[in-house]
Amino acid sequence: MRFSVYQVSRQGGRERNEDRMGYAYTRESGLFVLADGMGGHPEGAMAAQLALQTFSAYFQKAANPSVKEVPEFLSSATMAAHHQIIRYASEKGMLDTPRTTLVAAVIELDHIHWVHCGDSRLYIVRDGALLTRTRDHSYMEQQAHLGRNTQHINRNILFTCLGSPAKPVFDLSGPLSLQQGDRVLLCSDGLWGTVSDEEIGRELSRTTLDQSVPELVEMALKRGGARCDNVTALAMEWETPELFKRARVSTEDIDDGVFASTIQSGVPDPSIEDLDDDAIERSIAEINEAIRRTAERKA
Amino acid sequence: MSKVKPAPLPPETVIGGYRIVRKLAAGGFGVVYLAVDTEGQQVAIKEYLPSSLATRGPGELLPQVQPEKLSLYRLGLKSFFEEGRSLAQISHASVVSVLNFFRENETVYMVMNYLEGASLQEFIITARELKKQKVFRESTIRSLYDEILRGLRIVHQHKMLHLDIKPANIFVTDDNRSVLIDFGAAREVLSKEGNFIRPMYTPGFAAPEMYRRDSSMGPWTDIYAMGACIYASMQGYPPNDAPQRLEKDRLALSLSRLRGVYSDNLIEVVEWCLSLDPLSRPQSVFALQKELSRETELSYTKLNVAEKMRLQFDNLVADTKKSARKSAMPGTKFR
Repeated sequence: MRFSVYQVSRQGGRERNEDRMGYAYTRESGLFVLADGMGGHPEGAMAAQLALQTFSAYFQKAANPSVKEVPEFLSSATMAAHHQIIRYASEKGMLDTPRTTLVAAVIELDHIHWVHCGDSRLYIVRDGALLTRTRDHSYMEQQAHLGRNTQHINRNILFTCLGSPAKPVFDLSGPLSLQQGDRVLLCSDGLWGTVSDEEIGRELSRTTLDQSVPELVEMALKRGGARCDNVTALAMEWETPELFKRARVSTEDIDDGVFASTIQSGVPDPSIEDLDDDAIERSIAEINEAIRRTAERKA
Repeated sequence: MSKVKPAPLPPETVIGGYRIVRKLAAGGFGVVYLAVDTEGQQVAIKEYLPSSLATRGPGELLPQVQPEKLSLYRLGLKSFFEEGRSLAQISHASVVSVLNFFRENETVYMVMNYLEGASLQEFIITARELKKQKVFRESTIRSLYDEILRGLRIVHQHKMLHLDIKPANIFVTDDNRSVLIDFGAAREVLSKEGNFIRPMYTPGFAAPEMYRRDSSMGPWTDIYAMGACIYASMQGYPPNDAPQRLEKDRLALSLSRLRGVYSDNLIEVVEWCLSLDPLSRPQSVFALQKELSRETELSYTKLNVAEKMRLQFDNLVADTKKSARKSAMPGTKFR
């Protein structure tokens, strides 16, 4: 696999940047993920971070070096991320749970699958035009889908996300087969809120990613003004020609067991990390050892 | 999603060298069997099989877990191990002991002492139905809780909290020992949808801080539950749940009905344990034991006429309320 990648996240006019993004790859598989921690609930950045870490940990486990069932991987990682957030809230005894949107894609061979929950989007651009994009889980998009006037609808009202007590609703898409030069963009609503789909399609294919992505983000920041939302974009170009040198990834030279990730792994979470067969055997052995010791003490 | 409970293993199935005799109980976290080991010794075996996450057809051995529920299933397994780990460290006559832990049929099993007898809850219900003035005699209460508190003291010494003490988890054996059981369900419960993890508590026995799940939990949290158990052993039903009490606390009033029936000291001990403020309760099991073992010169205070009238009025109100409320241990009319 050969692709180039460019990612950027800007705080805009907000107090904090609660967007998170990252990518990871093995020799045969690539993962791209972006999460936008939600305001109005506590610790949005933590929710986004947990979602990324869960995806990264799941990917590291599943991609050896390719992921067998990509749709299944995406849905189980999404649910796991949701549970990690709930668990975090429950362990901290929080009255309200942290929440986040999520969009993630996995590329293998030349096939791309993606999942999204909430209003972070994935765009695929081919030959200078928008090929497809995700449909947000928002009231506005729902109304637009029904052909209604959406001018006065608050675009920020989502009917699902990760971390809410209600079970998340998410959409799996793909497989779509990528062609050389296809560009995939994952972004938060800070970008698409002020930049139209046409502009994104046009700008993304105008020049190389390392110029077009910052250009798009800059455009969104300018239009967003003093109170601009966090703007985050992670873009990937498939089978980049040799002349583009920057941030180019070729997975062909890397070894079987190698896993590369820009996502910082978090505090080791036992529920993801462990409890494979070895861990189960180890726990049982420990307990039996404790039983033996206690019995000895008694005797 | 299947709403059918996973089928228990049939009698005569052999697992880990134990032969199953019959199913004893089934809960959210699994099934408990009566079994015998190779020497014919009876044991209780708890099988990890959360009904919201796993299915098993009748006559089958292996549970099925859907892939999307696997991470929750493993999370629950962790709690099951926690219970095993806790119990493995303790050897005390008043705490159920674990004998073995093994893996089979793609799940895990905990082997425990088999206790013959009945839970304190069953005793309370039976006693209450006799409609006597007292549910249990004071001397019975004092000796029963003295024994159970010895067990709880050991538990706390091992830096553990039980967090679900209630009459259903206090077992009275046929040879008259009382034993603390069920350290499991371990603090987390998976909802029916299997998609939300929330703390577990039993209304009436759970201290106010259990509802908050903050760092203020400690030995005093188990002590609140102990107080509620003693209360239930006197009244026949549990005290109002903590949120209700925080809104309008009728504890002092309902305890006053027991004046003259039980000693002032015992009533005060219960009130002390059931303080809403964690800091106002006995801070250790030892402190409670000391107070409870003080049996010298018990005084009984009779109610005066005004108090009796207030009680009668309160009974009228309480009865109408109770008929509307469904409770695990519905109240009986007192005297």
